[in-house]
Amino acid sequence: MPTNLNFEMARSLVGFTVLLLFLSICESASFFQPISDSHRSAAVELFSPDHGSFKSLEETYEALRTFDVLGIEKKPDVTATACRLVSETVGSSSSTLKDLFYALKANSIVKCKINDKAYQGIITRLNAAVDGASSLPDFYYSVGGLLLVKGSKGDVHLADADGIFRLVKAFRQSDGRWRFSSNSPESSAFAAGIALETLAGVVSFASPELDQSLISTLNSDISKLFDSIEKYDDGALYFDDKLVDGHDHQGPLATTSSVVRGLTVFAAVTDERLNIPSNKILGLANFFLGIGVPGDAKDLFNQMDSLACLESNRVSIPLILSLPSTVLSVTKEDSLQVNVNTVLGSNAPPLTVKLVGVFTSGSKAASLVESQELVFDDGTGMYNLNNLPKSIDVGSYTFVFEIVLHEPEHEKIYVTGGQKKVPIFASGLIKIENAEIAVLDSDLGSIETQKKLDLAGQNAVSLSANHLQKLRVSFKLTTPHGLAFKPHQALLKLRHESKVEHIFVVGNSGKQFEIVLNFLGLVEKFFYLSGRYDIELAVGDAVMENSLLRAIGHIELDLPEPPEKATRPPPQPVDPYSRYGPKAEITHIFRAPEKRPPKELSLAFLGLTFLPLLGFLIGLLRLGVNLKNFPSNTVPATFATLFHVSIGAVLSLYVLFWLKLDLFQTLKLLGFLGVILVLVGHRVLSHLAATSAKLKSA
Amino acid sequence: MGKFWVIFVASISILLPFLCNSFSPETPTDRRVLVLLDDFAVKSSHSSYFNSLKLRGFDLDFKLADDPKIALQRYGQYLYDALILFCPSVERFGGSVDVAAIINFVDSGHDLIIAADVNASDVIREVATECGVDFDEDPSAMVIDHTGYAVSETEGDHTLIASDDFIKSDVIIGSKKIEAPVLFQGIGHSLNPVNSLVLKVLSASPSAYSANPLSKLSTPPSLTGSAISLVSVVQARNNARILITGSLSMFSNRFFRSGVQKSGSSTKYEKSGNEQFLTELSKWIFHERGHLKAVNVKHHKVVETDEPALYRINDELEYSVEIYEWSGTSWEPYVTDDVQVQFYMMSPYILKTLSNDKKGLYSASFKVPDVYGVFQFKVEYQKLGYTSLSLSKQIPVRPYRHNEYERFIPTAYPYYGAAFATMAGFFIFSFVHLYNK
Repeated sequence: MPTNLNFEMARSLVGFTVLLLFLSICESASFFQPISDSHRSAAVELFSPDHGSFKSLEETYEALRTFDVLGIEKKPDVTATACRLVSETVGSSSSTLKDLFYALKANSIVKCKINDKAYQGIITRLNAAVDGASSLPDFYYSVGGLLLVKGSKGDVHLADADGIFRLVKAFRQSDGRWRFSSNSPESSAFAAGIALETLAGVVSFASPELDQSLISTLNSDISKLFDSIEKYDDGALYFDDKLVDGHDHQGPLATTSSVVRGLTVFAAVTDERLNIPSNKILGLANFFLGIGVPGDAKDLFNQMDSLACLESNRVSIPLILSLPSTVLSVTKEDSLQVNVNTVLGSNAPPLTVKLVGVFTSGSKAASLVESQELVFDDGTGMYNLNNLPKSIDVGSYTFVFEIVLHEPEHEKIYVTGGQKKVPIFASGLIKIENAEIAVLDSDLGSIETQKKLDLAGQNAVSLSANHLQKLRVSFKLTTPHGLAFKPHQALLKLRHESKVEHIFVVGNSGKQFEIVLNFLGLVEKFFYLSGRYDIELAVGDAVMENSLLRAIGHIELDLPEPPEKATRPPPQPVDPYSRYGPKAEITHIFRAPEKRPPKELSLAFLGLTFLPLLGFLIGLLRLGVNLKNFPSNTVPATFATLFHVSIGAVLSLYVLFWLKLDLFQTLKLLGFLGVILVLVGHRVLSHLAATSAKLKSA
Repeated sequence: MGKFWVIFVASISILLPFLCNSFSPETPTDRRVLVLLDDFAVKSSHSSYFNSLKLRGFDLDFKLADDPKIALQRYGQYLYDALILFCPSVERFGGSVDVAAIINFVDSGHDLIIAADVNASDVIREVATECGVDFDEDPSAMVIDHTGYAVSETEGDHTLIASDDFIKSDVIIGSKKIEAPVLFQGIGHSLNPVNSLVLKVLSASPSAYSANPLSKLSTPPSLTGSAISLVSVVQARNNARILITGSLSMFSNRFFRSGVQKSGSSTKYEKSGNEQFLTELSKWIFHERGHLKAVNVKHHKVVETDEPALYRINDELEYSVEIYEWSGTSWEPYVTDDVQVQFYMMSPYILKTLSNDKKGLYSASFKVPDVYGVFQFKVEYQKLGYTSLSLSKQIPVRPYRHNEYERFIPTAYPYYGAAFATMAGFFIFSFVHLYNK
């Protein structure tokens, strides 16, 4: 049956996690604190009206009721606005039944002045509503409203109480739950609470003439309802409606609150004693107290209203044992204080608190102390055990208390829940002695260097060792009573420069703690990383008041070179701050311009290039150049002139080509000029050739 | 026909608010949040946290984690912008939700908050592992700190930790300093060292360790010291944000309201730092802070205003971009001094810090390098806690044209002179040669 077993395990695991979840929600382990000032400040904070008034009458009532239960002074403006809202609703005939009901409820707290005429109107309206009611909420609002009118005015009657009782009872289901109306299939515990409250109202209108058998069947229904109660593992009990469709799902708090309200109101009007185990009432009280301080106004109202109902109910009034402090210092000789209160924190009847036994947590040994009574202190209202018993050293214990009521008849009124186990931590200063750190030679075990440590102060030991040596750290711990102490945390940490950490548990034999690190065996674990290792020692425990974390100093380790296949140290996380951030700017380095001679030099050489031209011109003049051969006739002279102009134009074109023209423009113009040049040149040259031939022949 | 029309209009008018309010690049704040719980009691015991979210305009949808009807998407559309997993003990999610669905949800840019607790289920651990975070494998281990615990009259086992080792980032935890330490009770986790996206927001003190407080410690604890992360965040590459913590109770009303005194310190704070810390952190997670956008990327030559198709080497150019941060309701100018632009071809040729005008406009001017090719303007902005900006714009750079080089170089004057002198000589020589007698 492995699957079955798994299923069972899973279920128990779920149960356990629910418990843990609950523990994390509620105040702390297995005992509950009564209502305190933190509830009061929360109430003032949560019920803060917008612009002087609350959103609805229901919320107004909830605020007023919560303030009333917590004993908070009502602010005058809240009362005034509430009264205005109440009289508006009561006076108007168009207000809904629900608003009317909550107006009357709010009125029962603030006690506004409502005139008789308005009351008469309400009574007729409510009576008509009772007659025409077809669903549970209709009955609830109308009967409840009539009851409230009766409370402030008296002289109100409910016609045919017996019949109404039977009508309401028709909504009952066989499992003790109720339906909201005859045509809704869902039954709920929330409705059961409302039904009980309604019926209590009916009963109080027609107490004597009502058929007692009706009430006794209702009694057994209540017992059935309590069979479906659900339980947290710490003893808190609650009701919850498991509706698949959650749109009108109220949640466990509202449901439980509704049941508690109905139950206590019903118990108050019947003469019969309800057959409910008083432990269940205590479980319900634990549930409400376990919630702590709710963060929601509605939840706070439900919690406070239910606790107020439990505070003075006729079934049994729960008494809550609580401890202001469960951490006691042996060194400071704290005294053990116990409080016994009702759920709202008011005083309990005369009683004695007995310390039945003290057990070491997690062991089944016999009690460490004998049973004894705690002393009542009138001034603080607490039960004290002034000196912790001598047999209690530092450690965690379970104290078992029992409440014994002085008056036997109180046993029927109050419920104390039998023996109460409370976990107590007895803390103290632990003496640390003989702290030493030493480097040993491996073979002989002889001490090479040894340093004393002062673990209470600062140390800066600097050691060095190689892989053939050992490191020994030792110290001694004793409790205030001189016994051996084994802390939960006794760790030695070695941290390499590269942030690779190695942690060792320091073992003990009795009071003496010692750890020897043989580096030869640890070389591989240390990833062959030589260098500086910082040493830290952490000694701590829940009951050790002087828990410590000390940097002892450092050791310089000289380990052999890693072989080829040695494992690499694991990657270390990168510091997030250095991962981001601006990068260094980059600028481009441009190519350096070519080196050029100075401009003057170029200009000088430019001048030099003109010297040959100058020499040429001077040479021509010296030779006595003449232009006597220039044609004298007009036509050849014109062609000669044109020829030289063309040559000049071509040369100028070259200058223009250099200055601005591109090759294509130049070639185009050159072609044009070239043709002219050739034609004109031919005429000139042939003329000159003819002239010189004539001359030769002559 | 008319009837259908009415139905159509009605359904649009019902859907319209959802369509408008949902997450979009223009309004990056989440709106619809699914909260999965183990037990509806959490809804009231953690109501302060939920109320602070509701007040900021989030639409919270509470469901039990094993509710068979839960679904993250329908017809390919996500129904929620963010998911809160306050269900540490859930063994299997109900409906169509499973680990893969949650990872897909995050992969499509949605946000996630995970709170685990002691005995966290495998499913929750698996989701956390996918996010780069490993919870202590020992199911009953808790973070214990014998020197950094919160002093309490009723909690003696030192698992209630007061931690004040926050990440130094104003954008993640708000610019207002968190004075009071934060209360934590739960399991620790470590970050995957190769994952560069996950950040430790709240770390344990050096003396902390993770172990079962009820059993003796015989082997060294797997997690110790400041390597233990109590609260971590992840910002994925698609800007999805994830919060992971090992304590559900740190969100509870009790911790929000509780006073706190760290052991060894005499200052007692009226109220723990939990509310401020977690509220500020949720602002970051839900993109009310640290979400950047860059618009109007422009570049042009210094004297011109039009964007050219390409640049020539050695041009002077100006680059500008506007960067805004989402404040939850509007885009505000983002002011910083570490935005950098790169002029990039295979590797950055130029990397320059942009100067800003305090109104969100960042600009820089520089000279195009004398290397031609296809370059990119790149802004790769990554800052702790901010969404990353990655802009790139391609732009070619050409060399000089033949006629853009320098003309009339002085060094060449002798050559010009020689050529023209020869030409002049030739011109004169042509006369002398032809007409001399």
